[in-house]
Amino acid sequence: MENIKEYIESGILEQYVLGDLSLDERMQVEEKALLYPEIREEIQAIELAMEQYAMQNAIAPPTAVERRLFEASGLSHSIDLQNTDHKNTETQIRKLNSDGNITKIRILRYALVACIALLLVSGIALMITYNKLNEAHDQIANLSLDKQKFAGLVSKLEYNNKGLEQTIAMSNSSDWTTVKLQGQSFSPDSKMLVYWNKQNKSVLINYVAMNLPKTDDSHDYQLWALVNSKPVSLGVFSSEDVNKSTFLEMHTVQGAQAFAVTLEKRGGSINPTMEKMIVMGRV
Amino acid sequence: MSTLKKPNLTESELVFGLRQQNPAVLKAIYSMYSSSLYGVISRIIVNPELAEDVLQETFVKIWQSSSNYDSGKGRLFTWMMNIARNLSIDKLRSKDFKNSLKNQDIENNVSFVEEQNKVTFNPDTLGIKQLVENLKPDFQAVLDLVYYRGFTHVEAAEKLNLPLGTVKTRIHMAIIELRRYFN
Repeated sequence: MENIKEYIESGILEQYVLGDLSLDERMQVEEKALLYPEIREEIQAIELAMEQYAMQNAIAPPTAVERRLFEASGLSHSIDLQNTDHKNTETQIRKLNSDGNITKIRILRYALVACIALLLVSGIALMITYNKLNEAHDQIANLSLDKQKFAGLVSKLEYNNKGLEQTIAMSNSSDWTTVKLQGQSFSPDSKMLVYWNKQNKSVLINYVAMNLPKTDDSHDYQLWALVNSKPVSLGVFSSEDVNKSTFLEMHTVQGAQAFAVTLEKRGGSINPTMEKMIVMGRV
Repeated sequence: MSTLKKPNLTESELVFGLRQQNPAVLKAIYSMYSSSLYGVISRIIVNPELAEDVLQETFVKIWQSSSNYDSGKGRLFTWMMNIARNLSIDKLRSKDFKNSLKNQDIENNVSFVEEQNKVTFNPDTLGIKQLVENLKPDFQAVLDLVYYRGFTHVEAAEKLNLPLGTVKTRIHMAIIELRRYFN
């Protein structure tokens, strides 16, 4: 009896009620409670005191908690099964949907970021490509310019070559006489060649072997032959060969002692303008 | 079932319904005891949101582990109260709670809780508060820690720098005072 009183006064029963004992201690208390009604009564008294104390200190929870508890928690499942199955599936579907929306939004957000990144990369790539394209255009323009230059050079070389070949053929033939015309005081640096065929008396000039100043639109060169000290016109020619042929055939002449070129108005003159004599050479 | 607005079922009826997993009985238990349990919880957890969470968890656990309750070993309320206390104390030590207090460490929590509690006292319980204050200060301190703040006896002994036996005795004496008041 004394033992029990001491046990009660130790405070272990309060600990028991407050759930502050280990499993072993709890079992010991329960064992003693079965054996001694005093201990059983004491525990009940403590429980009642605690319960009343709690009720005196009660605080009403917000109504939202009850709603949440019965609607949203796992409890709603069994409650709704007993009441209406319909409502339960509805709430479950709504929950899934909202979850789905969240993940959908997250995916869309990632997609948006990816799109922006892709757009930036594409933009940069486009800029680079555009720059390269411009470079290529410049290169092509340069190359075609070069090509034109080379084509021009080639045709000029071909033209010169043709003239030179003909010159060689003519100087090898005994029929042709080459007359060198030297620059006169009007144009000392000028010179040209006149080819005269003794057989058929034809006269040719060679643009390749010619160095005369350029004429303007209102003037032409005129070739003259001196026959018995009289000038005979053999025709006009321009400083540029308009027919793209290296040789130009002039009028035929018999018994010329000399050839000369004067600068005349366009179309030529009847008599040579002696003070504008460019070149002259004796046969 | 819907006539359970003002439920006054006996404890054995409640226990039976709970074992049967009758939702209406859980609703009855909720309307009878949620305030008491919320009072217990909010004295341990001051943050109302967290306290509400714990209340909800408490009822989920009451529902799920109703088969664990042995009426031979104690009253239904004692069992429920201990579920509420244990969940509260778990919450108090959980990351959630520490995060909710941001940079306050656990030692500061106690004084923080203490301050908050003074504000949240239910005016209806002033009588009790007075009673507790009328207890010998020694008793009051121990009861305050163990009952209000969910300290274990061992923790209360450490906190008050007292032998465990003394703490136990003082709680015993304090509860005897309470019993005297209620009876």
